[in-house]
Order: sequence, then structure tokens, then C-alpha cells
Amino acid sequence: MSDILEVKDLNVEYLTRDGNIKAVNGVSFSLGLHETLGLVGESGCGKSTIGLSLLKILPINAKISGKIFYKGKDMVKMSDNEIRSLRGKEISMIFQDPMTSLDPIMRIKDQFFETIRAHFPKTEEAEMIKTSSNVLKSIGIDPSRLENYPFEFSGGMRQRVMIALAIILNPSLLIADEPTTSLDVVVQLQIMEVLKALKDQKDMSMVLITHDLGLVAEIVDKVGIMYAGDLVEFGDVDSIYEKPLHPYTQLLLVSIPNVKLEDRELRYIKGNLPNLKSPPSGCKFHPRCPFATDICLKSVPPTFDVNGRKVKCWLYKGEKDDARKTNTSVG
Amino acid sequence: MKTYILTRIILSIPMIFIILTIIFVVLRILPGNPVTAMLGPKAPPEVVKSMEAQLGLDKPIIIQFGDYISNILKGNFGDSTVTTLPVIQELADRFPATLELTIFAMILAVTIGIFFGSTAAYRYGRQVDVIARIYSIFVYSMPVFWLGIMLQLIFGVWLKWLPVSGRASPFMTPNNMYTGLYTIDAILNGQWNVLYNSLLHLVLPSVTLGVVISSIFVRMVRSNVLLSLSSQYVISARSRGVKESKVLYAHALKNAMIPILTIMGLQFALLLGGAVLTETTFSWPGIGSYLVERIRYRDFPAIQGAVVFFALFVVIVSILIDIVNAWMDPRVRY
Repeated sequence: MSDILEVKDLNVEYLTRDGNIKAVNGVSFSLGLHETLGLVGESGCGKSTIGLSLLKILPINAKISGKIFYKGKDMVKMSDNEIRSLRGKEISMIFQDPMTSLDPIMRIKDQFFETIRAHFPKTEEAEMIKTSSNVLKSIGIDPSRLENYPFEFSGGMRQRVMIALAIILNPSLLIADEPTTSLDVVVQLQIMEVLKALKDQKDMSMVLITHDLGLVAEIVDKVGIMYAGDLVEFGDVDSIYEKPLHPYTQLLLVSIPNVKLEDRELRYIKGNLPNLKSPPSGCKFHPRCPFATDICLKSVPPTFDVNGRKVKCWLYKGEKDDARKTNTSVG
Repeated sequence: MKTYILTRIILSIPMIFIILTIIFVVLRILPGNPVTAMLGPKAPPEVVKSMEAQLGLDKPIIIQFGDYISNILKGNFGDSTVTTLPVIQELADRFPATLELTIFAMILAVTIGIFFGSTAAYRYGRQVDVIARIYSIFVYSMPVFWLGIMLQLIFGVWLKWLPVSGRASPFMTPNNMYTGLYTIDAILNGQWNVLYNSLLHLVLPSVTLGVVISSIFVRMVRSNVLLSLSSQYVISARSRGVKESKVLYAHALKNAMIPILTIMGLQFALLLGGAVLTETTFSWPGIGSYLVERIRYRDFPAIQGAVVFFALFVVIVSILIDIVNAWMDPRVRY
């Protein structure tokens, strides 16, 4: 099997007192070795939940079903201990908020050591210092800062430390959950450079979760577009950017602000994400979709295969060719 | 770190001064005159006059205040009007009993609080958690003396396993006193039967006090650990494969302990001022029962001395808490 990761019909539901929230709804996709996948969508569309599912570190009120094959083994069925031995060593994750992701009262050094010892309990301290210093150097932080506490770093630096912690054991798969969202633009680009270097030099497979289509375009190979818990479109990055099929993707692409445009007006998608406790009937996107027809209201669209791309939209029923409705002038 | 500790100590000097002033003012505002309390309402005026002069109460209030402060600085808390012994000596005699009870009660309360509280938080919503919540509400709402009396009844009267009052049986005190704590002194003297005897006497009062305080600790630890368990650094530690026991104790509990330590420390200081109800219930010869006894006799120097003594303890302990906090939380140090 050449795929490092294969997700099949993944469902995640959050059980709350006033109703269950279906955060991820029958999502399937696969990721090849050394490939990078961008999971894109608005806040609350379930993309972070997928990220957490891939490590099985969901909150306790989450119910997960489906299959997640990592290197051919189903993670959903694994025991807690098996999963734990994968975390940090095989699959690592970096999070959205670097300011709170490090333990505030523990030296950086100890957080590195703890990670190494979690998987190799008998590692000598000298060796751990060497490994940690090297990985810090590789992402542009002076190794002397191992002695520091998290609050002595800036946001961008902390995110670098988080990345260093995630890659210290050379994982095969790195999940980055909006790694640049809380950082300023200059630092955002620096962090993206670090990630890109990782992808090129270390041959890591990556899942990049983001709401910023523009930012990840350069480094991802595949793109999955999420809407209200559904994976509405999945395919190669180039074909999606050139010819977005799903109306939501089309709208997302024209919403990227562009100062070169004549009118310089901000374009956005009208309406809000539906309430996931009581989602709309049929296709969840139909209330906001400019192409919605009767069938969209009545029944949930299946995922259609269009030229090797997957689209969850009634517009592509029975299509094998390039789509006709790739109208990019919407918005 | 050094400058931090020094600053804290220097800052506490005005605090102590303010506390001493408040005690002085309050004791003079409160109704009740120490002289009439001592001599009774029918004392002849000349006797009252000479008594006032003896106590320095005829001087202007500002001079009285000066005398009061300088006496305290010299360690002179005045003499008891009941026993005529120096108050400071009486307090020193009583304090070890309170300290010993407090230490044992706190060890029990902190242990129950931390383990029960953090386990309940870790198993949120499960059986342990439900039991912890019921325990803390139930115990918290239980009056200390009632619990004490019940334990005396069950273990002392019915089962006859444990003594119901006092610090030691007759002739069961340590030969040489070093610390005033019977358990420690017994060990230092090698008197194992004395150690056993004083431990037996400690069980009921320290369990009573410890259990009641533990209810607050369980609640506090539970809610703080719950908070830090849902924080991002816990999720990210988990995502790196850190073992669950380490996630709970090294990350969640350690972070949760910072605010809890302050409260535990203050609770400790409060208890050093005498656990009045517990000491009274078990006839424990500590500061708490001393205070109750002397209030009954309107022994003003003793009451004033005990309150000052207690206030100083709270100040000292709160400095210690700050130091421990700084040691635990690097953000405070800088």
C-alpha cells in the first residue's frame, strides 16, 4: 500500500446536553507517501476535528466511527497504548495557538526530554540535549534557549519550538492545525517556509489544516474542501485552483482578497455555516448556494467522481467530463 | 529570586504595622472595659483608677499606641490577667499542640484533596467524580464539632479503640522536650510507647479537622485540574505521546496547584491560629481552646496577644506561599 493514510467514512459526533453535533460526516480521503494535503474550510466545518481524529486526541464527549488506516493499520481499532506509541513518533501535530500549546511552567528542555523519553525511556540526557539542540538549530532557534521557559519566546518563536517538538522523533506524518492563524503576516510566511523545508528535506507527509486557501497553495499537493462536516471536494491542488467544481470551492476562491482587482471590494460568501445540531435538509450548502435546485433541498448529494476528483454536489450527477458549470464569476 | 524574596519581606513590614494598628483600634472600640471586666462593675473608683494607671490606660491614646508597638517589638505581649504569667510564654506553651494537630490534619486534607480531586477531574462524569462531588458537599456541610462528637461516640465510646480527648495519657509525655511536638520529641527520645500513645490521641482530632478541610481541597483541586486538563498544553503533550499519568501529574496537576497552594497555605495559617471548634471538642490544649478559655475570663492581654500572634503567622505563611509560588511558577520570578 503506497498510501500512508487512508480515511474511510470517518464520522465524529460530539455529544452535548442539548443535542449531538455531527462535526465530521462520512469523510473519506487518502494521502500518499511524501504528499501534502490541505484541508480547507471555514471555522467550525470539522477540519480541526479531523486533525484531532488522526491522533485520536478528541475530547471525551466525542464519538468516532469509521476507519483511519495509518500505514495499513486501523487506528480507530487500536488500543490506547498502541495509539500513544504512534503519537509524536509516527504522527505529530502542531496546533493553532503557540501561546498556549507549551506548558507554561516547564522549561523547553524538559518538554523535549519528556517527548523523547515517552518513546525511548532510557535515553541518556547528553544524547537528548544533542538531539534537541540539532532540531532547534534546524528550524532557526539557538540551542542555548533550551533552558528558557515558554513565556520568554515570542509567538513565532514558540510556533517554531512547537514544530521542533513535533519533528524531533522524525515522524512520517505531520498534522498542522492552522499553524499560522494566530501569527502576524511576516511570521506566517516564515513558518510556512519552515514547513516547506520540512516537506522538501525530510520527506514528511503532511496534513495542513487551514482556512486560508492562498497561503497553502504553494506547498500542498492535494486539497480537500470541507463544509459543515462534509468533504465537498477533493483533488489535486492545481486542478482545484484552476477549475473549482463545487460551488462552495468557487466561492471560497473568489473570496481571497486581491488588491489587484479593480473595485477592491471584499467578496464573501453570504450566510453562515448551518447549525450542526439541526443541519438543513439535503445538501447542507443549499441555503447559500447560487445554483441550488429542488433536488439539493430534498436529498443529500453522493460523492461523484469527476476526472479523478471527488465532488459532493448534484451538479455533477452523471458527469464524466470536465464540468460545465465551472463558472468563476459568482460572488 | 533573592531580590524577589527580599522585596516580599520588606513589603510585609508595613502590612504587619497596619495589622497591629487595626487590632489596637478594634480592641479599644469594642464595648467592654478590661478594668471593669477584671474588677467587676462594683469596684470602688480609686481601685479602678490605680488599675488603669497600672495598665497604662490613663495615658493619652497615642502614647498607649506607642507603648503597645514597642512592647510587641520587644516580644512583650503583656501578662495574663488570669494567671499573671507572660502571655508570650503561655502562647509558646500552647502553640506546639496546635502545630502538631495542624500538621497532621493538613497532611490528611492535602493528600485526600490532591488524589481524590485530581482523580475525579481525570475521570470527569464517572463514578469516582460523582463520589468526590457528593463527598465534598456532604463533608463541607457537616459541622466540625458534630463530626468530632460522632467520631468520639463511635471510636471512643462504643468501640473503645481511641482516646476521645487530650494530647496524651497521664505519664505518657516525652521526657525531654525539644520541639514541643509530642510525636517528634518521642522519636528523639526513643520513647516508642509515648509516640504510639500520642499518635492514638492525634487520630480523632486530626481526622475530624482534616476530613472537613479536605472537602474544600477536593473541590478546588477537581475544578482546577479539570480546567488545566482541557487546556491546550495538555492536548499537545498528549499529541506527543506523553503517558497519561505524566499528563495528569506533571502537566495538569502541577499547573493547577499554583492557585491551590495559596489557598492551602492560607488554610494552614488559619489553622495555626487555633482550630477553635476542634480543639474545644477534643479538649486539645492548643491556641484555639486557649482563646476560648480567655475570652470567657475577658483576659484582654491574652486575647490581644493571641490575635497578634495569629496575624503574624498569617503574614509569615503568606510570604512563604509567595516564595513557593515563585519557585513553582517561573513567570512570577521575573
